[in-house]
Amino acid sequence: MTELKNLVKSLLEEGKVTKVIGYRMYGENNTKPYIAVTPNDAEEMVLNTDCRNNLSVYLTKKEIINGGKTGIVAKGCDIRNIIALIQENRIKEEDILIISAECKGVGAEKGSAVYANKCVNCSVKTPHLYHELVEMKGSELSQPKDKYTEAKEKVLAMNSGERFEYFSNMFSECIKCYACRQACPMCYCEQCIADMSIPRWIESSATDRGNLSWNMIRAFHLSGRCTGCNECERACPAEIPLSFINKLMYDTAKEEFNYESGMNKETPTLIGSYNTKDNDNFIQ
Amino acid sequence: MEEKRITKENLIKLGSNWVNDGMNVYVNNGKKYTLMKLHEEDLKGFEEAPPLMSYKEIVFPKTEPILYYKKSQKEVEIIEPKIGGVKNIVIGAKPCDAKSISIMSKVFNWDYKDSFFNVRAEESVIIGMACKYNDEHCFCTSVGISPVSTDGSDLFLIPLANDNFGVRIISDKGKELISKYESYFTNGDSEESENVLSSIPIPEKKFNAENVKSWLDKNFESEFWNTTAEMCLGCSQCAFVCPVCHCFDIVDEDYSFTEGRRMKNWDACQNGLFTKHASGHNPRDKQPKRYRQRVSHKFKYYKDKFDEYLCTGCGRCSRGCPAGIDIGEIVERIDKLTN
Amino acid sequence: MQTEKKTVNQFEPKVIAFVCNWCTYTGADLAGTSRIKYQPNVKLIKLPCTGRIDPVFIIKAFEKGADGVLVSGCHPGDCHYNAGNYHARRRWIMFRKMLETMGIDSNRLHFSWVSASEGKKFTEVVNDLINKVRAAGPFKSYEKINKEYVIND
Ligand code: SF4
Ligand code: SF4
Ligand code: SF4
Ligand code: SF4
Ligand code: SF4
Repeated sequence: MTELKNLVKSLLEEGKVTKVIGYRMYGENNTKPYIAVTPNDAEEMVLNTDCRNNLSVYLTKKEIINGGKTGIVAKGCDIRNIIALIQENRIKEEDILIISAECKGVGAEKGSAVYANKCVNCSVKTPHLYHELVEMKGSELSQPKDKYTEAKEKVLAMNSGERFEYFSNMFSECIKCYACRQACPMCYCEQCIADMSIPRWIESSATDRGNLSWNMIRAFHLSGRCTGCNECERACPAEIPLSFINKLMYDTAKEEFNYESGMNKETPTLIGSYNTKDNDNFIQ
Repeated sequence: MEEKRITKENLIKLGSNWVNDGMNVYVNNGKKYTLMKLHEEDLKGFEEAPPLMSYKEIVFPKTEPILYYKKSQKEVEIIEPKIGGVKNIVIGAKPCDAKSISIMSKVFNWDYKDSFFNVRAEESVIIGMACKYNDEHCFCTSVGISPVSTDGSDLFLIPLANDNFGVRIISDKGKELISKYESYFTNGDSEESENVLSSIPIPEKKFNAENVKSWLDKNFESEFWNTTAEMCLGCSQCAFVCPVCHCFDIVDEDYSFTEGRRMKNWDACQNGLFTKHASGHNPRDKQPKRYRQRVSHKFKYYKDKFDEYLCTGCGRCSRGCPAGIDIGEIVERIDKLTN
Repeated sequence: MQTEKKTVNQFEPKVIAFVCNWCTYTGADLAGTSRIKYQPNVKLIKLPCTGRIDPVFIIKAFEKGADGVLVSGCHPGDCHYNAGNYHARRRWIMFRKMLETMGIDSNRLHFSWVSASEGKKFTEVVNDLINKVRAAGPFKSYEKINKEYVIND
């Protein structure tokens, strides 16, 4: 298997790509994203268990994708977002070159000894769409505690009033920074509904009411699209457990439609398609 | 400087007393500045990183009504909201946070005197605490603060052996706050405190802020910006957690055809909409231009106008940045360009 | 929120119905011209197609004090725009589930297919929803988070 650095170097030298979005070290046990443009830039490129970022978000930023083929280093879970973007016609497969690896999982946070939650039961450790394969470095970590199942059971045992309170309390911490949106590869709208002022569907103030609407609508806009990469939660400065509602919706898509986003680029998107035999039993 | 001493137990009791007096007491519990729940919170923070978010909310809330209106066919009635009336106390403010109110106070009292800010600032009492934390993101010493500086604090805590604190009384406000509760304190030993303070390593300066400013003076247009923070996602996290970022947006919200309110909400220069004109034109149309604004505002414009850096070196923007952008490192790079 | 003072046993639910222009609205019209009586608690909002009914409308309705919401359009296969209602149905399945999980009971949110000729069905659907909401009582969940909207004087 080629070494990542050498691969990126030769891709850039041979002009197969104009740039490669990848990771470089950031302190001892952290990495950060950067763009390699010259073969020299490739020297710094790494892929290891500290590569937490989902770089596919950059494929949605016009300033970064400005002509030419773009190389991108992506773990299996990041590839799901790339596929979802292809499914949604946001990007074309021929414009990108995916460099991936058999994934070893990533640490929950800088210096952490456990895996990120999304790595538990990950079904795409072996990448499902790639053009080049390299090796991922890093040592084994331990399994995190499963908080999701417990929380889900807790919520499902509540009555509606309690649920409403549970979620409005959860979101009352929101400061409306929209970091969740900006970090999300699937939140690429030119104009987000939260920024619309006439009419103002979602109040822009970080009041309890504005916060609840924002987080409800975002969760809904991401339902059937969210791949569970958890970048939103990682970016949220208010430490809101955003993965919870996202995962609930993910489960719903799976239960109702047996659909998982970002698994197959040929499948139509869940919300963009329909079946005349879709469940009708709740409609009078 | 007058110095007293208090045990941790008594300090928590004291906090509870203030809560009972109807004050909002925020405690640095090592992760957050949280509203104190009686006896539950443990006072931490001496060796921990600055909390994820600063406590600027006590003087500059994330959202607040600045007026209410009622319309009738003939006239519009404006109703002023109530501001203040509750004392806010922060126990265990990091020195890099303690200075924030006095820095922001300059812009809020520049041509217009912002009573929303001033009333709250007047009612806030900051109990700072010496800091023993230091990581690759911290750079307080480069902007004129230090882990032991009492700047901006009304009282200042120095953690001593056996869960005791040396308490230095810095301002009249601080003195007044504890005057009712003298019995919780014993006489201080300033020598012991001094020993603790001098055992705290003072981090080396990472850059020379004056050099940075003089580079910024000349390099509004520079190649440097194009490759700096190109990975910025425009997520605004950095501004929202910053103890001194103070930009806001004004929106009107109606709740019926005749009534509504005008809100003041946090905003951030990294957000693409921040400078977008109604015409559609955006003078800061790309992320590098927005990042240039962030750095220039902090290390040039504010210094030009108010003779103060708009940054306390707390490093929390860098710690939380999802794209790994470190303002200290960037400014350090600028400093290197100058020699 | 400006709510008139009423005691609980006088509770009159506020119900908003988002309906499509081609079927349900015409159906409601038919109910009117045929003089079929139904409870007056419902306010109709006409949209081109169920596909145009953005779920944010529904949230907004609840936010602003609705006790119940009806969403109604053409039967499957009858959409004026061919597939608007099929697309809508997919969204509803997800949205309904989400609201239910987040504490907005499906007793307060009904969906129906009502064609232009089903004036009678329209009244049944509306009455059914209003009765259910009446039984469930006023939708109080938003009250707490709407409190801050009251002018402080
Ligand atoms: S909503 Fe969050 S978890 Fe889902 S795709 Fe977006 S960033 Fe990833
Ligand atoms: S929240 Fe919705 S409207 Fe906003 S960017 Fe995301 S998908 Fe688009
Ligand atoms: S990142 Fe967190 S605080 Fe910011 S808007 Fe999203 S949910 Fe709210
Ligand atoms: S936190 Fe980082 S990514 Fe977000 S706006 Fe600030 S610099 Fe950009
Ligand atoms: S810019 Fe960053 S380091 Fe400076 S005060 Fe703000 S949050 Fe702290």
